Amino acid sequence: MLRFPAPKLEEPAIKVNRSRDGQQYGIQVSALTFAYVTEPVLKGVGFVLEKGAIGLLGPNGSGKTTLLRCLLGQVPLSRGEVSVLGWDMATQARSARAGLGWMPERGGVIPGMSGVGLVAYMGELSGMPARDAMQRAHEVLHYVGLADERYRSCQDYSQGMKQRLKLAQALVHDPEWLFLDEPTSGLDPRGRVSILELIRDLAWNKGLGVILSTHLLADVEAVCHEILVLRSGELLARQSVDTHARQAKQVFEVEGFGNEDAFVADLRALGAHFEQDGRLLLVTLDLSRLPGAHTGAGFDATAGINAILQVAAAREYALRRLRRRPVSLAEEFYRMVEA
Amino acid sequence: MPVYERGYTHWQPSGRRASPAWLVIARRGVTEPLKRRWLFLLILASWVPAIIKGGFVYAKLKAGNMVDLLGGSWTSIDPEGFLRFLEGQRFFVFVLLAITGAGLISTDRRENGMSLYFSRPLGLLDYIGGKAMTIVGFYCLVTLLPVCLLCLFAYLIAPDATGMDLLLMTPLRTLAYCLLAGASTSLVLLAFSSLGTRSVFVMVWWTVLVQGTETIGGIAEGLGRGGLQAMNFMGQYHNAGSLLFGAPPRLEVSPWLSLALVLGWTVLALWVLRRQIRPVEVVS
Repeated sequence: MLRFPAPKLEEPAIKVNRSRDGQQYGIQVSALTFAYVTEPVLKGVGFVLEKGAIGLLGPNGSGKTTLLRCLLGQVPLSRGEVSVLGWDMATQARSARAGLGWMPERGGVIPGMSGVGLVAYMGELSGMPARDAMQRAHEVLHYVGLADERYRSCQDYSQGMKQRLKLAQALVHDPEWLFLDEPTSGLDPRGRVSILELIRDLAWNKGLGVILSTHLLADVEAVCHEILVLRSGELLARQSVDTHARQAKQVFEVEGFGNEDAFVADLRALGAHFEQDGRLLLVTLDLSRLPGAHTGAGFDATAGINAILQVAAAREYALRRLRRRPVSLAEEFYRMVEA
Repeated sequence: MPVYERGYTHWQPSGRRASPAWLVIARRGVTEPLKRRWLFLLILASWVPAIIKGGFVYAKLKAGNMVDLLGGSWTSIDPEGFLRFLEGQRFFVFVLLAITGAGLISTDRRENGMSLYFSRPLGLLDYIGGKAMTIVGFYCLVTLLPVCLLCLFAYLIAPDATGMDLLLMTPLRTLAYCLLAGASTSLVLLAFSSLGTRSVFVMVWWTVLVQGTETIGGIAEGLGRGGLQAMNFMGQYHNAGSLLFGAPPRLEVSPWLSLALVLGWTVLALWVLRRQIRPVEVVS
């Protein structure tokens, strides 16, 4: 009987640590102020980031791209300190860049080269040996879904393919952190979803740190677990993406029939505010006044639901509908920016 | 990568040696244009004068000095003869450099390529050095390489004629000349390239600089105003090269003045490059 040898499976590759001293460093920014000419674009920005999926939000002109350029050491830093992977970006930016991937919003596709040629070229520029870079270029192009198009001239790529190609060149050297500037810009809905899936996979499953700069809040909600909000060059807020769902003040949609006056009076005694939205009664409850609502990560909306249910039962108010009104990141963002 | 894993995997370095960034840029700059067949044919065409000169040198050996009457400087294998040969290659240098060098930086500026380059662990010197070496590479393809092959050919067919001078000194002189002239020319062309975002405009400026100043120099010579030949861009390289080859000046201008002019515009080009090349476009 013929016996075939068992296939030899390769051990999965272990990520090479590009940080200084081989330690686990994140990103540290303190009191960063930067001006291209005279008017400061960034004003005293400071934060510390550990690896994860971070969304960088802000209106146009708020300094998102400039902040990413500071993190890449592409602009001379004069005021404040930026440390990435343990390297001081004012003096050691070149060492740090070996562990950083950058996907620019505009351009970034050098004409006259094939897709695989461009990605391999970028790999070599990142310090990879030529053969490693070429092999790796094939792998990442396969990963981003350009395997069949890799030998085509990248000038002829569609917008969606160009975005994938830019992601591939940012990944080729297996960076520690990936800086993405408007990665879904100009994409159709399907292309946008597939790019976001790739980014999410990289951040959540492959252990890469991702900073996603965008003004599309849905992109951030789909990928990130934390956001930094910039406005006019200042860091306005830093919070978890689902923070708005755990805030003290929550709005509940109530619809029912019965003794509504007594029901409203009892809720008012709990500190509730009311608004009418068609047939819906919008009840704003301050969960901090309810016992047991506060958990370690914020306020639990279930306590508010229970409170309303109890009042309704006590006042024989028959509920037809009761739910917490979802607050989108967009609403939260505009509230912060316009405040 | 193993067959079963088609997702994202981490890179495992093979331990091979990586090339420095400037060499990667230069290698790509030379090999990418050579994929165009017509450019390859142009380079082959630039070697035709060398083949003709080789033929004359061979004919001189066989038929004696009578060939000098027909061939003039083509039969000469002394340093001055090779300097004249290099001078004769200026048309090919002009065309080849315009084609291969005009878009080197302007395209990067147009396509936001600098942002990509400077997101990698490389510096300004790597970038400029790599781009300049690309141009120097093409420059040497039409000047240094034919001269070295000619010297070897002449030495092989007439080893006693000038001996070590042919085998060693002339190639070394040519190497020094080509590296200096090539580096200076490449920096000037790169400076032009860094000023625009369209390679067509860079080519126009390059044509004005090379052909325009040569025309002015020619007119000045015709009018007996030899001093105005200092405006001839390419002529200054050949005139300064006469110092290196021990040949009489090619223009009615001191070779030292030519050398000073060459150094002057090389420094100017470096200053322009230093100002223009940065990863971020700043609009004041």
